[in-house]
Amino acid sequence: MARIYEDLTVVIRRSKITLYILAALIILVLVFYRKIQVLDHQKYWKLAEANRLRELPLAAPRGLILDRQKVILADNTPSFKVSLVREAVIDYEKTIDNLAGLLNLNRDELKKRIDRYRFLPAYMPIIIMDNLKLEDVSLIEARKDEFPEIKLEVEPRRVYPFGPTGAHLLGYLQEVSVDEIRTQPEKNWRGGEMIGKSGLEKQYNDTLIGREGRILEIVDSLGRPRAEISRTEPQPGRNLELSIDFDLQRRAEELLQGREGAIVALDPRSGECLVWASSPSYDPNRFINRFSADEWLALINDPGKPLENRVIRGLYSPGSTFKLVMALAALNEGIISENSTFYCSGAIELYNKEFNCWFRPGHGHLNLPEAIRNSCNVYFYQLGRRLSIDSIAEYARLMGLGQKTGIDLPGEKEGLVPSSDWKRKFLRQNWFPGETISVAIGQGPLLVTPLQLAYLTSIVANRGKKIRPHLVKDLGNINSEDRIEVSENIIEEVIEGMWRSVNKQGTGQGAFQPGFEVCGKTGSTQLISRETAERLIQKGVEVKKTHSWFTGFAPRYNPEIVVTVLVEFGGMGGQTAAPIAGQIFKAYREKYVRQTDLPRD
Amino acid sequence: MLDRRIFREIDSVSILLMVTVSVIGIIFVYSAIYFQASQLVWRQIIWLMVSLLCLLVAIMIDYKFLVSISIPLYILMNFILLGLLFFGKLVANTRSWIVLGPFQAQPSEVTKIAVILVLARIFSEYREDSLSFKAFIISSMVVGLPATLTALQPDLGTALTYLPILIGVYILTGMKKKYLAIILVAVLATGFIGWNYALKDYQKKRIETLLMPNQDPRGAGYQLRQSKIAIGSGGLTGKGYHKGTQSQLRFLPARHTDFIMAVIAEEVGFLGLLVVFGLYFLMIYRFFSTIWVSADRAGVYLAFLVTMMISGQFLINVMMLVGLFPITGIPVPFISYGGSSLLANFLAASLVINVRMRRFRYI
Repeated sequence: MARIYEDLTVVIRRSKITLYILAALIILVLVFYRKIQVLDHQKYWKLAEANRLRELPLAAPRGLILDRQKVILADNTPSFKVSLVREAVIDYEKTIDNLAGLLNLNRDELKKRIDRYRFLPAYMPIIIMDNLKLEDVSLIEARKDEFPEIKLEVEPRRVYPFGPTGAHLLGYLQEVSVDEIRTQPEKNWRGGEMIGKSGLEKQYNDTLIGREGRILEIVDSLGRPRAEISRTEPQPGRNLELSIDFDLQRRAEELLQGREGAIVALDPRSGECLVWASSPSYDPNRFINRFSADEWLALINDPGKPLENRVIRGLYSPGSTFKLVMALAALNEGIISENSTFYCSGAIELYNKEFNCWFRPGHGHLNLPEAIRNSCNVYFYQLGRRLSIDSIAEYARLMGLGQKTGIDLPGEKEGLVPSSDWKRKFLRQNWFPGETISVAIGQGPLLVTPLQLAYLTSIVANRGKKIRPHLVKDLGNINSEDRIEVSENIIEEVIEGMWRSVNKQGTGQGAFQPGFEVCGKTGSTQLISRETAERLIQKGVEVKKTHSWFTGFAPRYNPEIVVTVLVEFGGMGGQTAAPIAGQIFKAYREKYVRQTDLPRD
Repeated sequence: MLDRRIFREIDSVSILLMVTVSVIGIIFVYSAIYFQASQLVWRQIIWLMVSLLCLLVAIMIDYKFLVSISIPLYILMNFILLGLLFFGKLVANTRSWIVLGPFQAQPSEVTKIAVILVLARIFSEYREDSLSFKAFIISSMVVGLPATLTALQPDLGTALTYLPILIGVYILTGMKKKYLAIILVAVLATGFIGWNYALKDYQKKRIETLLMPNQDPRGAGYQLRQSKIAIGSGGLTGKGYHKGTQSQLRFLPARHTDFIMAVIAEEVGFLGLLVVFGLYFLMIYRFFSTIWVSADRAGVYLAFLVTMMISGQFLINVMMLVGLFPITGIPVPFISYGGSSLLANFLAASLVINVRMRRFRYI
């Protein structure tokens, strides 16, 4: 019988084995799928959630800074910024090329900036451009689909409507630095966040920033938001209301225009600062931009030091204003009484050295108020000869010198009150009595800030009560009972001298304001020796190589305002600083003292 | 000529399983690319109907006739592949498509059928117990030539799908261990040479990714990572149809083609996946059962090689999704989107049905 069917047993057997192997392989694969899908489900579920959910911060508007009449000194305005979402970047080099082209940025700087923030988690966007104009924004918006990795956002941007006016007081914002993010993890700073870097913006940064909100949203693989899951609204930062009077502030800065110096005015009753001017100034609006390294360097290197807040960071010799401390010390120590007089012949020889009075013909016999009025050096040399340096230092410290006033601003300097201990410690020398004579008229190693002098003046004006100066209005009740241990009668003696200085053709007469009893003391700090100066004057050169001081208060009884003026290279205190202070007193009186309160003359 | 009796023997079970699996494919293609024009889904439905029609036409022709004309067909297809290399239009970086107006076709898919027919012809009279050296060389060359031409396009994924066919031949002819050693050496050698001289960078990258999947989150490793996240996050029961976050939010690449099984795993979970695997295995089993009833050696070869081609491709794809195989552009037969792939698979399967309906000799 012919076989119709051929014998296929071998191949069929082989195919069957193949089927078993295949089935086994498929089961093996299924086991693998089961591991991923069932056993490791949680892990992959979380990864999928992390993929699709994105948490975005909602910027809280920064609190405003207002003056005592609610004039806005620091405001917010909407501004656009562009960020790079690194999660969505496929090819870094290409992206950087394209972005540099789109945003018209320097490629290397852009790359450097991105590299600097590499350590941040990838979901955190890196801000690559800010402070955009509307036309730039529309250009980017139009090409948005080509750049899924960039994000265009509105952020509130800080604006200082008055530019340089009050700049040192307000401070400025700058991008939080990489170091700060790393060293202060508790602050939870994000890359690119703007924080207060100086002034009140720094001091009250935590109050001003508020709490940022959050959006939880669903995104697709290109980072495009598809739906919002939840939203926590941001809590705006609290406003800061200052004790500063902006009208006076502006007047003060006008008076300092073109000069290097500082003016501080405060209310001695509360310690509230009314004026805080430091010149030259700068425009803080320029730092709000994240990318202005050149301008920043230019300001840092400016020899006029416009960034320095001279009110608390400028250290100057107090000059004759220190005679106030000397007078109080001598009276309180019983070295002199209100009737004690000394004779001024224009010069005096002490410790085998001749010390001159600034008024070479001599003042003749004078008592304490007259000595303050004329700022007679010889009188105070006599006090210096009778007081030890350590006793002087004690009184100076009592009056707030040589230590921070505790003002609510960062970076305050302590100044320097020399003592025998200090000299041994830092110069490894003994104190010479001759040096005390220099200190007696405010020269020597003494260093004070304008604010310290204003505080000292406010202690005098308050008849010994110490009320610390401050800038923010609602700091609670600071009615401290802290006072210096000097009797009011003694202080009244010194005030008599200060009153005469301004009102009786004394050195401070430039500050005279009719009907507003200004009491004050001038000071000039010698930067070159008097001999050199006199030689130059004889040659007809105008010498203004001295810093010019005036510190005073008004009115004499129940004082309302303390004004301290420092003009660098302003010449004699009476020439420059006193008239400026007079203008501040005038402006204050015109604004705050009702005309009916004025005496009729 | 056409005996009416054989039409009673048309394997409706196979056809039903193929259509079912294809419809499941279309359902998930619809989910995967929901936000894109539904035009693609309609196109796939039309392709399915065209494929079904072609299958019905193809089974009317006796497979023995097809085997007899296989050599000219094979030569023709290889010329087309060669021509593509020189005149083909570059689509997605490869010259694998013939573009005729709005229609595109991948001749490489059809070439595999010609390869299977030629192999069936060569071995229809081969009655040795094991593979002779001559037959080993010939069969390897028959598969190797179009596979190489395809790899040069360069379409490594499709070229790789020739491999199960060749393995099928080796198994069926009973290859000796000696040859296995030769192949191993050859593979290692080509692997070494290929790695250093022939492979394109992106291909190397994909192989590297298999070994270190977390290296490059946005490159090939990104695809594997997203695929595993999709599958793993699906869990036992899935996130629900059209609710897979990985696919709907486009984290999954090539969702409607190579990664369609990941979409299924994400949306209907492990249980749903078991159903799809089950149906697929039933289909493969049905194809195997044809081998066992085949009337002649040529029929055995046809049915076996077609089954090897389809199941091998399926296996490679599902292994690739979980990182058991390098990511290569291999679609799942019947399920992935793609017209010419669907048509080619239906035509290939038509050979199996063809063999089954002509299993009886009517004298």
